[in-house]
Amino acid sequence: MSLIDLLSALADTPFAQAIAGSSWIFPTLECFHVIAITLVVGSILVVDLRLLGWASRNRPADVLTAQLTPITWIAFAIALLTGGLMFLAKPVAYSQNLFFRGKLVLLLLAAINMAVFHLVVERRGGGPASRLAAKASGLVSLLIWVAVIAMGRWIGFTVP
Amino acid sequence: MLEAFAAWLGKSPLTAFLENAAWAVPTIQTLHIFCIAIVFGGAAIVNLRVIGWVERDQPMASVLDRFLPPMGWAVLVLLITGALLIASEPNRALFRTVFWVKMGLVAVGVAATFVQRRAVADGPAWAPDALPPRAFQLLSLATLAIWVAVIFAGRWIGYVSGWPGSPT
Repeated sequence: MSLIDLLSALADTPFAQAIAGSSWIFPTLECFHVIAITLVVGSILVVDLRLLGWASRNRPADVLTAQLTPITWIAFAIALLTGGLMFLAKPVAYSQNLFFRGKLVLLLLAAINMAVFHLVVERRGGGPASRLAAKASGLVSLLIWVAVIAMGRWIGFTVP
Repeated sequence: MLEAFAAWLGKSPLTAFLENAAWAVPTIQTLHIFCIAIVFGGAAIVNLRVIGWVERDQPMASVLDRFLPPMGWAVLVLLITGALLIASEPNRALFRTVFWVKMGLVAVGVAATFVQRRAVADGPAWAPDALPPRAFQLLSLATLAIWVAVIFAGRWIGYVSGWPGSPT
């Protein structure tokens, strides 16, 4: 059974049909998706700008991270859930869409960037090299998340 | 009058440009959503400080000083990108009640934020770890709810139908 077969079987389930056939379920999911994404990006942006040294310079970066991480993760879970439910409305079309695939790749890159920051950069302590590495982490994160939003918008215009 | 404005806008070179450049509208929407992230993310942090969930060790005034200026700039960019999105399809938003509800809610949200700022500036300085009175906390949560409603209204513009007899 290929991935396409699996996805079309998924599309035929009564649950997926209910999402695809309703006039209000999809827009409602979109609303929660936008709320969740803006909280994910907004909270991450605060940390990114701190790492870059462009804002919140009077606050230690690790204090900011500790405070905002719960907001980021709860919002990300909601974005993932609502995104997954929207995917069910047209699983085959989304899976074949270049921008949808690009969005998944970008999310993977964001996860890698975050893992490198927490496991490598943060543990090396102060010093010019690690300060530069922290700035790079912040800039990469900021660019990835803007690109994630862009992919989401392009998906809306290109999925038939 | 609104119809005349939409018709005039629709004939403008701006609308022609936005209709022809396929990349333009998704790019403007991306910027629009990024700015919503700044406003809504900032509003979440400011209003959660009021109930003591984040930045509790910081004085309220300094939290507002950090987050309100970028939020204000983002609101300005939202008005510009929003106007460009209207220009891209003049008959879409202007004749739908939910668009005007959204604009009204934005005005209330901005006004509530000014009231908040004024109350903090005039009131007793909120030391670190101090929480404001209950009434102020309720205003804060109401403000956050208004921004949520703005996002809902914005997304719904694309789904509702226009007023009867309005241009399409």
